[in-house]
Amino acid sequence: MANKMKIIKKSMAWYYPNYLLPKIRGVIQCRDYARNTTFQSYYQNPVFRKEDQAKLIESSELSKIAAFPVKPPAACETSSVYHDPIVNKVINHIMEMGKKSLARSLIEKAFENIKRTQIERYHLASTQQEKDKIELDPKKILHQAIENSKPLLQLTPIKRGGITYQVPGPITENRSLFLAIKWLLEATYEKERTVHFPEQFAWELLDAASNSGKVVKRKQDLHRLCEANRAYAHYRWQ
Amino acid sequence: MRIHPSLLGGATQKNARRPQKEPVPFQMLLPLQLKKTVSGKGDKLKEAACMQEMALMFACFKKSDFNQQECLKEVAAFQGCYNEYNKRMTTQREQGKKGILVPGEKKLTHRQLNQLMRSFPPK
Repeated sequence: MANKMKIIKKSMAWYYPNYLLPKIRGVIQCRDYARNTTFQSYYQNPVFRKEDQAKLIESSELSKIAAFPVKPPAACETSSVYHDPIVNKVINHIMEMGKKSLARSLIEKAFENIKRTQIERYHLASTQQEKDKIELDPKKILHQAIENSKPLLQLTPIKRGGITYQVPGPITENRSLFLAIKWLLEATYEKERTVHFPEQFAWELLDAASNSGKVVKRKQDLHRLCEANRAYAHYRWQ
Repeated sequence: MRIHPSLLGGATQKNARRPQKEPVPFQMLLPLQLKKTVSGKGDKLKEAACMQEMALMFACFKKSDFNQQECLKEVAAFQGCYNEYNKRMTTQREQGKKGILVPGEKKLTHRQLNQLMRSFPPK
C-alpha cells in the first residue's frame, strides 16, 4: 500500500511544473509572429503565466508594459498547470500541415508509453534504492532527454583563401534547443515501418534521458569534430 | 619580319599604354584634408571570444572520452563566458547605435566618435 502511494505521489509530480528550468522558459516564451502580422512593432508579447506576472510585479516593470498594447496569446498559451513550454515546442515540431491535435495525441501516447515502461521497471526493481533512481514522470524524462542532447558547440563554414574551413564556436541557447529537438525527431523517424511513432519516440527519449543512444552519440560526434577542428577556431570572426 | 619589342613601345607611343614621362605631374583627385567622419571598419573585433574556455573544455572532453557529465565545471565556464560576451556585445551595439556618449569612456565606437566630431567639428 505504501509503495502504491509513493507511485501516485511520484506520478502527481507531473502536474507541477516547478522543475522547469527558468532559462529555457525565457527562451521559449518570446514568441514572435511571422511576416504579415497585423500587430505593430510596439505590441508586447503576452505574459500569460502567473509566475511571470508575479516576477513582473516584483521588479516593478509592470507599469512600463501596461502602457503598451499586448498581442493576444495563442490558444495553447494558458496559465493552466498542465502548460509546459518545452512540450508545446516539441508538439509544434512534430506537427505537420497544422494538425496540432494529432501531434498532441502522438506525444501523449509517447508519454503513456514512457510511463508504462518506467512503472514496469519500477516494479521489476528489487531494492528500494534502485526504485528511487527510476524516474516515473514522462515530462521530466523529456526535459532530461532534451537537456542531454543539446550540443554545446557548432561548426560554421568560413571561407579563407579559397578553402572552406569548418570552424568550431559557441552556439546560442535557442539554436541548441532547436537542434536537440530536431535530432530527437530525426532519430525517431529512422524506424521500421511497423513500429509506430509514439513507441519509437518513447524509446529515444528514454535513451537520451539516460545519456545514451543515437542522439547523445550524434551530439558527441559533433563535439569530436569540433575538437578535431579546434586549430581553426581562431578563424572565427565576431 | 618580326619587330623588336623595344621598337614597339617607348614614350613616343600614342595610346594610353605608353610609359609615363618623368616627372609625373601631380593631380589632386581628392581634397588634401582628413574627412570629418570616421568609418566603422576598425570597430570589428578580430579576436574570437572564449577561446581559452573552449580549449579547457576540449582538454577535459578528451580526458573523459567526450562524456559531458564529467566536465560540468568547464562546460559551465564556457557557457557563462559566451553569455557574458553576448550581453556585452548587445549593450555595446545598442549604445553604439544610439551614439550615446558615456562620460569618461576611453574606447569609443565609430558612431560615438562621429557624434563627437559633429558636435565639435574640427577646423
